[in-house]
Amino acid sequence: MDWKRLDSARRNAEPLQVDLIEAYAQKRIKRRDFVKRGTILGLSMPFMGAVIAACGSDDDSSDTTEGTDASTGTSVAGGSGAAGGNLIVAIQQGDSSTGLDPVNMLDLGTYNVVSQSFEYLVGVGPDGNIAPTALSTGWTPNETGDTWTFDLRPGVTWQNGSEFTSADVAATMDRLVEVGNAGLDGVIGAGAVDASDPTKAVFTLIEANGNFPVLVSLFNAQALITPVDFANGDTLDARPDGTGAWILDSFDAATFSAKFVRNPDWWGGQTPLDTTELRGFADIGTAVTAMQSRDIDAIQQFSVIGGEGLLNDDSFTVLTPPSANHRQVWFNLAAPDFAQKAARQALAWSLDRQQMVDTLFAGRAEIANDHPILSSLPFYDPDAVEQRSRDIDQAKALLAEAGIENLQVTLQTGDLQEVPQLAAIMEQNAAEAGITISVNTQSNSTFYEAGWCPELYGVESSDPATLPCESSFAFGIVDYGHRPIPDVYLGSALATGGVWNSSNYANADFDAKLSEYRQAVDVEGQKAAIGEIQKILWDDVPAVYPYFYNYLSGHDESVGGVQATALGHTILSSATKG
Amino acid sequence: MLRFTIRRVALSLVTLFILIFVVFLMTWLTPGDTARRLAGPFAPQERVDALNEQLGLDDPFFVQFWNLLVSVVTLDFGESFSSPGVQVVDLVQPALWNSAKLVFLALLLTLPISIIAGVIAARKKDTVLDRSIVTLGLASASVPEFVSGVILQYVIGVRLGWLPAISDIPDGTSPLGQIEYLLLPALAIVAVYFGYIARITRAGTISALDADYARTAYLKGLGTTQVLRRHVLRNSLQPTVAVTGTQIGYLFGGLVGLEIVFNYPGLGRLIFRAATTPDFPLLQAGVITVAIIFMICTLGADLIIAWMNPRARMNLGGS
Repeated sequence: MDWKRLDSARRNAEPLQVDLIEAYAQKRIKRRDFVKRGTILGLSMPFMGAVIAACGSDDDSSDTTEGTDASTGTSVAGGSGAAGGNLIVAIQQGDSSTGLDPVNMLDLGTYNVVSQSFEYLVGVGPDGNIAPTALSTGWTPNETGDTWTFDLRPGVTWQNGSEFTSADVAATMDRLVEVGNAGLDGVIGAGAVDASDPTKAVFTLIEANGNFPVLVSLFNAQALITPVDFANGDTLDARPDGTGAWILDSFDAATFSAKFVRNPDWWGGQTPLDTTELRGFADIGTAVTAMQSRDIDAIQQFSVIGGEGLLNDDSFTVLTPPSANHRQVWFNLAAPDFAQKAARQALAWSLDRQQMVDTLFAGRAEIANDHPILSSLPFYDPDAVEQRSRDIDQAKALLAEAGIENLQVTLQTGDLQEVPQLAAIMEQNAAEAGITISVNTQSNSTFYEAGWCPELYGVESSDPATLPCESSFAFGIVDYGHRPIPDVYLGSALATGGVWNSSNYANADFDAKLSEYRQAVDVEGQKAAIGEIQKILWDDVPAVYPYFYNYLSGHDESVGGVQATALGHTILSSATKG
Repeated sequence: MLRFTIRRVALSLVTLFILIFVVFLMTWLTPGDTARRLAGPFAPQERVDALNEQLGLDDPFFVQFWNLLVSVVTLDFGESFSSPGVQVVDLVQPALWNSAKLVFLALLLTLPISIIAGVIAARKKDTVLDRSIVTLGLASASVPEFVSGVILQYVIGVRLGWLPAISDIPDGTSPLGQIEYLLLPALAIVAVYFGYIARITRAGTISALDADYARTAYLKGLGTTQVLRRHVLRNSLQPTVAVTGTQIGYLFGGLVGLEIVFNYPGLGRLIFRAATTPDFPLLQAGVITVAIIFMICTLGADLIIAWMNPRARMNLGGS
């Protein structure tokens, strides 16, 4: 231990950052977790490198940058890397009725298009974690974690020539608050950003939040910074602008295809490519075929089922960015089918998760344990609950004990990727425990509107405070995209009154632990609260979480410098082709 | 002929009016809050209410229907719901043009091959050649075009790499280059319609060859080619013309599966997207466009038949 260097680091850090340094110095957290957490708290890579060097080696062999390879979602520059050219990326055809509206968009295809021109306050690093690679060059929390100051990147201009300032950030946040953005709901209120200094955006939170920078990063997809005079409902195609590397040249709404040209005034310098084209595909199978025939250069996302041709193609580079993507099998507790906890637990025990992972993902997934906490998160508690694995006897005993006979339910799903097959496996698994499931699959957009949370589409709830999604289907499967921290999964989908709480789950103990987790500014505090949350969810089973699956993206071997995120972004500012 | 034409056009207009009403009724009865869908799930209720008023979604039933009729007449369906700021006509027009290109190429390939095959089969009735044509036609017609499309796409597009596997035509592609992109979906259509049209042509030709006027022509000493050209084809092709006329309408709007498989921006895919979004103005415009094409094609087919066969004119009150 180099105490002199460590003391020097302590003296130059804010109180919350000092706590983290202490935790690492005392070996209470691993190096990888120190880097992840330090990034969130605004520590720079050289600073963390100095702390790690001062503390000497530990049990974690990973270095601070974690490399730049396909397993982080970033491809190294490939081929000759020649300058110029056009790159065609197959993307999911946006099915949102809102068009290219950065505030109201809901699908990965739209995220990808809109984020080519608009940028986030906090970007992503080559290791797949958040990093000061976008409109903020760094951030620091105050001592209590309820005020965060973001330094804005100097010299950034909008594509219309005006200067980017903190007023743009303040206006954007107000718009997000106005529409109840899921990531920021309950975190900030109107007027949360002090924009008196045009080079700094100072956020005052409703309560302390140790993960706040993630909530204004690209992992809150709608948090793209738009100009101060942008209005809720304005779309990128109607009003092309942005601070990003690409200028929207044309957008064909019928095919959901967008063409971009290089932004010569981008703060990041000149992009290697001249132009890019994001081409919408209604069917993922067609996109895979187009990739196989090389009619396109890259593909935003594909599945293991139907994507075998790409996975076995030596000239195709597979990108697997870190992913907490999962499916949530919800039980609407306001409906009678699964009102009894025993019925929910019985269903959870009846499921063969290994079969799901093997059959649906050829092993490219991680078994989950009926809570949305990914095991690689620094605050995940591996000892909180046992891993639930298939136990038909246990399932039958639970049903018998509760006096439940001939349980017959309808499982509602959208036709998204492997979801219908997941439903089919559940149907077979549950039958052995005496639960009869009939599956009803419909188009994903219809499914969303008809039964995920119809209250989002204007249906009135009798009690929005506790039954935010009263009209949800009694039993259904919904998809959740990647978030590096589980705040949205917990707050929006499970907290009392959460905007996406299709389970209508209302548990005061859970809400209290969630509040503790949010306000904890150190890993140990977060872990203590999350461990309790794991226990509550595992026991209550407001929803089944069968697995977390790998996000698959990729491109031809002649392409390089592409970075994918598991939330649908394909970052092309450093991409090369040829 | 003029009276016949006027009468047929009038009938078409009545049919169109009924169809417009049915389309309107279907969209009007669709449950859900349209303005909420457009504004997005996070939008405040005030904005949703304002949108309802702005789009006339609060108007009475007959006012909304009248507005749709006006839209059809003026070709102004307003803005698309799913693409705010974009006029519906600007979405339908390129899709219609794309469908027209694909349909034209498909018919250009299908009709000569099928008609020649049908006539040959009729001439060689009950021979191995006849049975081969009929069997091949039945087999190819029984496979949906999107299935044969996938097979063609994989074999010719992916494995052999002879043609583009998808039909997304890059901007600036020459007309000849565009054919390259359209050939695979067009071949998938040929596979389905070859059997259908060849069999109809065969049946019509057999019937015409058995007719008294054909026998008389032979007895006059005319050769087979002359009999076919002067007497038989004019009558035997009438069912073929009628069927082709009705199928063109389908080809414009019904190739959803094929257009998705080839990622081709045709009218079928546009209508499908409008129906699933749902984007009512676009859906109404798309369906009504297909209906108009359908009527124009059937009207055209009737006029051709009437020109070919005076008795058809008489049956419909012509002279």
